[in-house]
This record gives sequence, C-alpha cells and structure tokens, in this order.
Amino acid sequence: MSEMWLNMGPQHPMTHGLWNLRVKIDGEMILDVDPEVGYLHRGIEKISEDRHYNEVITLMDRCCYVAGFAWEHMYILASEQALHLSPPERAEYLRVMCEELQRIASHLMWYAAFVVDIGLQSPFLYGMRDRDLILDLFQSYTGARMTYEYMRVGGVRNDLPAGFTDRARQVMDWLDKKFVDYDRLCLGSTIFRGRCDGLGVMTARDCVATGVTGPMLRSAGMKRDLRRDRPYSVYKQLDFEVAVADGADVTARYLVRMEEMRQSVRIVRQVLDWLDHHPGPVLADRLPRWLGAPYAPQGREGYLLKRNYPKGVGFSAIEEPHGEAQAYVVNEGGEHPYRVKFRSPVFANLSAARHYMIGYHVADIPPIMGSVDICIGEVDR
Amino acid sequence: MQPDDLAKALTSRLGNQLIGVETFVGMAGRVRFRSEAALDLFRTVRDDLGFRHLSMVGGIDWVDHREVFYVVWSDDDHQYAILSTDLPADQPHIESATPVWESANWHERETWELVDIGFDHHPDLRHLLMPDGYAFHPLLRSFKLHEPEELEVKRRSV
Amino acid sequence: MTDVPALPKVAPTMAESYRLTGELPMVGEAAVPFIEIETVRAKEFIPAAKEAFSALIIEQGQSKVLRPTFNWAGRNSLFPLHWGLACCAIEFAAAFSARFDAERFGIVPRSSPRQCDLMIVNGTVTWKVAHKLITLYEQMPEPKWVIAMGNCATGGGPFRTAYSVVPGVDKLVPVDIYIAGCPPRPEAMIDGILKLETLIRERKE
Repeated sequence: MSEMWLNMGPQHPMTHGLWNLRVKIDGEMILDVDPEVGYLHRGIEKISEDRHYNEVITLMDRCCYVAGFAWEHMYILASEQALHLSPPERAEYLRVMCEELQRIASHLMWYAAFVVDIGLQSPFLYGMRDRDLILDLFQSYTGARMTYEYMRVGGVRNDLPAGFTDRARQVMDWLDKKFVDYDRLCLGSTIFRGRCDGLGVMTARDCVATGVTGPMLRSAGMKRDLRRDRPYSVYKQLDFEVAVADGADVTARYLVRMEEMRQSVRIVRQVLDWLDHHPGPVLADRLPRWLGAPYAPQGREGYLLKRNYPKGVGFSAIEEPHGEAQAYVVNEGGEHPYRVKFRSPVFANLSAARHYMIGYHVADIPPIMGSVDICIGEVDR
Repeated sequence: MQPDDLAKALTSRLGNQLIGVETFVGMAGRVRFRSEAALDLFRTVRDDLGFRHLSMVGGIDWVDHREVFYVVWSDDDHQYAILSTDLPADQPHIESATPVWESANWHERETWELVDIGFDHHPDLRHLLMPDGYAFHPLLRSFKLHEPEELEVKRRSV
Repeated sequence: MTDVPALPKVAPTMAESYRLTGELPMVGEAAVPFIEIETVRAKEFIPAAKEAFSALIIEQGQSKVLRPTFNWAGRNSLFPLHWGLACCAIEFAAAFSARFDAERFGIVPRSSPRQCDLMIVNGTVTWKVAHKLITLYEQMPEPKWVIAMGNCATGGGPFRTAYSVVPGVDKLVPVDIYIAGCPPRPEAMIDGILKLETLIRERKE
C-alpha cells in the first residue's frame, strides 16, 4: 500500500493558473484525480449586480484573461437580448474580427505554454513573438494589450484607425507562413510525438456526457462548433471549415487548435475585406441615456434610473477558444443586471479530469493538462 | 424544434408535472416544471427528446422564491432548451441531475454553494469555489457587499 | 635567479604587429607577449597579503566592501518565484519572451520557493489562497523581497468589494514595490524590478 495523495498546486510551474490538482498515485501510476479550484474566485457574478451593463465589461476581460474579447462578446450578446437592443452591422463585423483575432492570440498563448511543458523551449519564444504582433493590432484600436473594454451594449466603442486593415493583412500573411514552421517544430519532433501520442484519450461519448466542448470534443471526431451549428452574430455569412481530428489524444488536440488558427486567419481576411468596403456607424443611435452612450455626463445625471424600461432575459452561447461559453443575463428593468450567470468551458473540461487522467503516469500530467488549455480566471469567475 | 413540438412531446409523457413551455429567442423553448419528480423529466428530456448535453445549471434568488435552471443542448436539432423550476425559499430542494447528466456534478456544487439550493442524492456536495467551511451563500440577495468608500453617488437598484 | 635567455624583438600585441608589418599574423605565428615573472616565495607572500587585506577590512569594514558586493550580487540575480495568479501573470510571462527579455537582468524564475529571493504577486489574492501565499513567503530564505504587481495585488483592484478577495497583498506579507496597472505592461513590470534593484543597492545592513 504505497498510495498517496499528492498536491500539484496552487503553486506549480506546470499548472497554468491557480488551482490544485490532487492526484492519488501509487509510485508513478495515477489512480484517482480530484481537481480543486476556487483559488481565484473573485465573485464576478455578485459584483456585476452592482454595476451598470457597460461597467460589467471590465470584469469580462479579467474573467478569462487570454480570451478577453470572446467573453466580452458573449456577455454583450446576452445583454443586448435582455435589453432589446441591437447593434449596427459594422459593429457586428468588428466584434467578429476581434473574436477571431483573439482566438489566434489565445491559441498562440496555449501553444507557447504547452510546448514548454513538453520540453521544447524555443517555440515558447516564437509563439509569444507572434502573439505580440496580434496584441499590437489590438493596442492600435483599443489602447490595451489584454484588457480592452472595447465592446459596448449597442455596438463597440470606436472604429478602426486608418491603415489598420493593411497592417492586419500583413500580420495574417506572416502568421500563415509561421504556422508551417510550428508544425515542423512540433510534429517533426520525436520528443513531442513520444510524449503526446496516445495520451489523455477521452471518447466523444464521454465528452458529451460530462459536458466537455471545444477542441477536446472536436479532437474526438465529433464535428460540433457553435459557429456552424448555431451561428451567432455574422458567422452565417462567413466561409470557414470546422477543425476536426480523430484520435482524441493530446496530438489530436494540437492538430485541432492549429487548424482552428488557420481557419481564423481565413475568417479575419474575409472580415477585413468587408470592413474596407462598408463604412458605417459602430454604435446604435437610439440607446437609452442611462445605459451610457460614450459621452454620458458624469455625476448624478449619468445614473438616472429609467422607469418603465421593459424587462427581459438574454442568453448567448459562443464558441470561445477553450470551448462553448454561455451567458444568462436577467434584466429586471433597473440600471444594473439582476443576475448574470456564466458558463465556462474550462469548468466542464476540468471537472471531467477523471476520464482522461486515470491510468497514466505522473510524467504524463503536463502534456494532458496542457492540452486541456486551462485558464483559471473563467473557471472560478 | 419549435416550442409547440417541445410542449407536445413533454405533455404526452409527463402530464401535470409540466407547467408550460414558453418561447425563448433562438431556442427550442423554456420549459417550466414542478420540482417534485424532477428526475423523470430529466430522463425524458435526455432520452426521448435527444438533449444529451447539459451545459449549465444556475440558480437565481428571487427573494420570495428561488429558481433553478438547466440549459441543455441537442446535437440532432442543434438547439438549446432551458428547463426551469421554482423552489420555495424556506425549503429549496430538488433531486440532483447527476445520475442523468454527469456534467451536473460541479455545476450543482457551485449552485448549492452560492445560491443555497439543496440537491438531494448528489454524490459529492461540498464546497467548490469557496474555502471549506465557508458558512455563507454569497449570491443570495440578503448577502450584501461592502460598498467602496470612495463611491459617493447615490445608487438605486431594483 | 636562473638565467633567462634574451628574447627576439617581437611586437607585444597583434594590433602593433599589424601596424608594423601591414598584415595580420596567422594563428600560431601570433606575437605573444612574454611577461617576466618574479618567483616570490609563498612563505613571504601570504602573511603580507593577509595583513594588507585585514587592514582594509577593519578600516572600511563591511560597509565598503562586503555589503556592496552582496548587494550587487543580489540585485543582479533576482530569482522570482514561478507563480502566476491571474491576468498579470500573462504579462509576467510575456516579459520573459524575446521582445521584452527580462532574463537579461539576471532574473530567472525558479519553481521552488526555497531557491527564490523575490516573490512577484501578480493577480488577485483571495482568502482561499492567502494561507498558501503566506506559506510560500515563509519558505523563501532571507533576504527576500515582495513586489505587488497590478491593481489587484496593490489594493484589491476591480474586485475590491468582493466577498472572497483580500484587498491588497500587503495585508498578508510586507511589500517592497507596488506596480500599478491592470495589467501593467511588461515594460512596467521590468521598471518595477529595476526600482527594486535600486532599493537593494541602498541596503545598509
């Protein structure tokens, strides 16, 4: 009887985020797994009940910090449904461009952290370098690298600067060339293949039962992508493929995320072409004054309660880089939302840890947890 | 599927446990049911109607009663549906959905911890997000947060 | 002293040889300067050196020699703990990428707190993690410093009113440098670390 429970975390170089993975091991073999989260629980849902609809946006960026635009988009779609408002079309295309660029940046961050766990050091630098190019694009029109606060109920905050689309196209061309290098670095490396092939297998049936979505589900062969199955915003008018792989192991998840990045580049190119040819407003013109148009006066006037505003409930589901995220916003006629509830994909992916961790060795934990693509800010909210 | 089909399919199997099916934007519908024999409803929704994926379980504290809602997804119809029930504020219990959908496990732990809704026969009901032994249920309306000292503007909320 | 044979006249450095002849000498034919070494007997050398050196130490003492040396070594090789709490940790990681390159200052993240002298608290501190944070701080050997990076570590940040958030990590451990920002750019984080290095330079004890 040499079994013991081992704590990997909350301070551990491998766990990307603040959580504790308790493993029950017998020597090197994993017998049971109990992930412990909550070390970053900041009560975002409770704080949001004291904030205006546009002030909750700042919390959404920090909720999932590697995919800020995706969570902003998700919350904004639900709020607009609850408040019975709709954005102009140019704003919707801008939001989709933000979300797809954010998908590339999030997958590059995943890539940079994942390969370090495997043991490859230089792809970390390449991934961060290319991610910085995208963050420079974000900085040029929002002003920030990570926490943008760019989307508003009824549209987005401001339009793109001049010359942005040309710069973005240059970045997309560069990325297309670099993805070839990434594949050569990883798939051509015996260390990578030896550490990743056949690990962390989770079948599609188990995924559906445990609520796992996103690249983990698509790596098991199931072609489910909310952008294709339940198109939101302007995805119905865009042309892209859904990335699917067989094998359900860590290498399959790597392949799915690489392909998703290529498809995102394709989507961004289409959106840039549309944006070049369709100028227009980026914020709806008939917004209620208490909601805070960009130039709402400060002080007591800005917080006037609007009586008799119709109540509503909004639900939105998006395909976030980590999986399917959902928001449920309850509007009871006041200037603050009555309740906001979010569903995080990594929450479900982590809760299914028993299915893909038991039976492997302790040394297999970094590749498997890296392939789950963990961002603890959205698990704990 | 449309809310009418959903209503028809559910009424034929469940009868008076179903209170109604309302329309909901972009969804198959919002199903309101009575909480007494919830497991039968869950099994019907999963097996007969094909909603095999449970995405989210959440709780809302309307001060005189509490509401639990389940968001389920159907792969065949590519549609969401919300199942929602009202629980009395003095005795908020409902059967746990874990035997039917395994993904309910962590979501129910979180809902119990934040909104104080008891899930009967849950395999492992303990704290998830707060430390062990935390005695409060923070997302109840009766749990007030401290205001920051700097905020002088008089706020009004519903 | 034994007889040392006379040397041929050669240029003492390669640069001078190039100036004289107009061509660079090949390896192997390079002009090598020959230094005459006078053999001194160890018995006479060591006590004289000891006397001279201890006079230096007693006079100028710890303040002029040892303390500046330790400060120089400490500030040029700060090892932070490899720890990320929240969003600021992403900028912390970005600071170690090739564009911002924090490692050129001697900063190498270490996984074990026993090998670190710097703890950068980058993110929101909750009550659940407070005990672990204090344990990690106590596991670090002296001398140690703490940097509170970002608004959450400085004073709770956007989550100050939440029920589970510690309003600032200085409620738990003593903090030396506060870096404002939400999140601070990698350059701002490096600037904060350089300010800490200035602080260490002025350590007196």
